[in-house]
Amino acid sequence: MKELSFAQNFSLIALNAQESTRLTNSKKVSLRCMAAAALLEIYLDKGLSEKGENLTFELETLNNTSMPLYQQTVLKILLSRDKSLCETLPKYLLKVLKFSSKQLKEVEDAFAFTLTRENVMEEIPALLNSDLEFVTAGIEMREYRSNAEIFTRLTESIRAEILEDGPITDEAIIMIWLLRESGCIYDLFSKEELKHVAARIYELYDNTSLGRVIFPINIHKTVEYAVKNFLKMKKEMMSTPSGSGINFVFPIIERSQSIFIDTESYFSNKEDRLRDVKQRLESNGHNITVIREGEIPLIKIDNVLYEAVPHAKQYRFPVHGVRLIKYPLSL
Amino acid sequence: MSRQRSMDKIRASDFVSIGELVRLTGSRYSTLKFYTEEGMLPFEQEEENRTRRFPREKAISRINEIKDLKKQGLSIPEIKERLTSKD
Repeated sequence: MKELSFAQNFSLIALNAQESTRLTNSKKVSLRCMAAAALLEIYLDKGLSEKGENLTFELETLNNTSMPLYQQTVLKILLSRDKSLCETLPKYLLKVLKFSSKQLKEVEDAFAFTLTRENVMEEIPALLNSDLEFVTAGIEMREYRSNAEIFTRLTESIRAEILEDGPITDEAIIMIWLLRESGCIYDLFSKEELKHVAARIYELYDNTSLGRVIFPINIHKTVEYAVKNFLKMKKEMMSTPSGSGINFVFPIIERSQSIFIDTESYFSNKEDRLRDVKQRLESNGHNITVIREGEIPLIKIDNVLYEAVPHAKQYRFPVHGVRLIKYPLSL
Repeated sequence: MSRQRSMDKIRASDFVSIGELVRLTGSRYSTLKFYTEEGMLPFEQEEENRTRRFPREKAISRINEIKDLKKQGLSIPEIKERLTSKD
């Protein structure tokens, strides 16, 4: 297994299934957290000189040729025209909130460059391209896909470290915080597990010095975060036994959360319907694994789990198909 | 402060955590937890901090054995029986 750095590991989770061609609100949330991950990686590796609570960083350090491109990019943005910076860790981290769209794009390019060079991430046609309304509008988008094997090992080892009792590493403490701030935490843990994660956060806040420093910091912009998690909040409020909820009615804000795939014809048979959807997605370059069959199948599309709920859209005539609803990775 | 161990260090250790076992084998955490709770994976538990430690070589070969038996079409109770009789 290829061993990646801490910030690269987080980026594999944060960028997976994000559109690569547009700077969406959802991706902005991820990019701010990726910039914070790069900073925290430098902090963990003692790359910032510590005097009391203050951490100092000098411009000359950027001449270090062994410094990864993404670290250099983040530090250059932070330094701006200054020759050195001296701040506390929370103040360094809060600076990512002020990154402009152009600067966030630089962060994305630096990470995407190193991850694609390592062959652990690629660009593929976006899943949204398979949505009926995007197909008929002729819109083509692309998205990032993390290497499936590395993604599984990474997310499962994070889940193990957080959910298992016992001591926890600094990387895991920071990873929980980054997952919380990026909103990715909802993709990795089920509702029940999230209660355990919340208890773990309190425990780490009380018992570790790093937890006490890091957990009170918020680096998400409320608007961006709300857009990213709007449907999750709605789903919580409107959840039904079939897991449908309001996604069916308001899929407009974060379309990747609720994708409608029309089937060639009306299938009363669930097996035929699933086969048709699977063929459609595979022909668009996606990797599909059927995890559970049945009336509402659970399928894995490029590292993300979706429930494929039978659905019909009303235009001049009804169009049959399935609505793909995101499902947590914790099976 | 405790840092995450590198893969080289994990590969050289006699004992590993469940998270490290996930990294080594690519198995799901919930799967390994289930095997552990069903007594299919050998482990030691430290009383002070409740951490389960797995003997690396033994645990990996046991996981591979379970995977092979599953491929042969055996159910979990059958695999358990096979492993118990072997032990």
